[in-house]
Amino acid sequence: MFAVEVRELTKKYKGKTAVEGISLQIREGELFSLLGVNGAGKTTTVKMLCCLTEADGGEAFVMGKSCSREKEAVKELIGISPQETSVAEKLTVRENLQLIAEISGFDKDKCTARVEQIISQLGLDEVAGSLAKTLSGGWKRKLSIAMSLISEPKVLFLDEPTLGLDVLARRELWRVIEGLKGRVTVILTTHYMEEAEQLSDCIAVMVSGRIKALGTLSELEALTGKTGLENAFVAIAEGSV
Amino acid sequence: MNRTLAFSRRCFKEMLRDPLSYIFCLGFPLVMLVIMTLVDRSIPPGGPSVFHIEKLTPAVAVFGQTFVMLFTALTVSNDRAGAFLTRLYATPMTGRDFTLGYLLPMLGISFLQSVVTFAAGFIISLILGTPLNAGGLLLSLIVLLPSALMFTAIGFIFGTLFNEKTAPPLSSIIISLGSFLGGIWFDAEATGGVMLTLCKCLPFFYCTKAARSAAVLDLSAGGFFLPLLIVTVCAAALTLLGSAVFSRRMKAQ
Repeated sequence: MFAVEVRELTKKYKGKTAVEGISLQIREGELFSLLGVNGAGKTTTVKMLCCLTEADGGEAFVMGKSCSREKEAVKELIGISPQETSVAEKLTVRENLQLIAEISGFDKDKCTARVEQIISQLGLDEVAGSLAKTLSGGWKRKLSIAMSLISEPKVLFLDEPTLGLDVLARRELWRVIEGLKGRVTVILTTHYMEEAEQLSDCIAVMVSGRIKALGTLSELEALTGKTGLENAFVAIAEGSV
Repeated sequence: MNRTLAFSRRCFKEMLRDPLSYIFCLGFPLVMLVIMTLVDRSIPPGGPSVFHIEKLTPAVAVFGQTFVMLFTALTVSNDRAGAFLTRLYATPMTGRDFTLGYLLPMLGISFLQSVVTFAAGFIISLILGTPLNAGGLLLSLIVLLPSALMFTAIGFIFGTLFNEKTAPPLSSIIISLGSFLGGIWFDAEATGGVMLTLCKCLPFFYCTKAARSAAVLDLSAGGFFLPLLIVTVCAAALTLLGSAVFSRRMKAQ
């Protein structure tokens, strides 16, 4: 069974096609990057897989559960760290984590244990008692990822997790994401090519709502005849392939 | 239910940590109570009785609820503006969980606000030498719950339908309508004609009437039970509408 399976998935907004008949399969434990320029359809695809928006055509499955017919089951299997800041600003780091743990349906003891485990795992100890609104961008992103992990998801969606972060904060988040490989299936959308290059097992390049290329870095390089993901990406996005 | 309670706790905590909630939900009604008492003391004998403490206290409690409505609209629209709700939409939380999660803490705040308003009204009445009926105040506290739910549901609907820039001004319109057509600051029943008909077409009038009747233990059908029934039906209808609207918005992401 694939962790994520997508067949001919399509989404239209007011007649404009945002995602057009994409198909892909993601293996369990894999880190899969979805690349594309702005408006390529990455976030829409993630939203459909997270049951946040209805597809207009095709089918998507997360751990074998249908995103259109078994939404509640899918939602129990996934975690999401959205593109924008998605924390409760007037709660502390610990309270934010506690909230998501409780919403995930854990009992009191498991909530407490899980919160402390995640705080320790992601190195949030020094800010655990701080209100989220007082955190820097890097800490907020880290908290956002921690919140998406606390429910012990099988599939984790990270929508541009390092957007706007300085290089040190970005590298630290990379370490966190790399630590998830093999344990959690991660679907990452990003504009940073070095990020995808560093972290991904498999990469899909979306252009105008379609998947133009799909494979490992070396496969994309072989396909385009270019060296490095950035060059390969540009060749694919510009339609040279 | 656990999800609802977890989300309620979050809303309650966030509200308690927002200084605006104290100013709008507690400070402002108390200030109005004191000011209007001073106005009442300045009116010569035989003038309008609407600012007498036994009529003013329950009316100010209703007025306070309109600010909880504004605060609810602000909270929900602000949450919708960020990605925090997007994260929660991807959890098994349902539209009903969100609706109750927002409404329950606001009802708690509203109840607390009424307790503080009545306590202040009672102290003022003792100072004035015309003590309020304690039993009436307790009954009024209970009678105010449906109107608290009604105003909170209106705020919830505004916060769900409109953004953080539009929802507060719309709530302010309801505050004005509620104040004037609800007979908070004047005796609506003494006006008659089109004005009274207009007042009777909106639920705000019945909120004030039921609370005032309860405060003086007037348990007549026309003064107490009918207004209470109207407010309760409106509160239930608006809550269901709010839940339906929110669920629809969730799906329309």
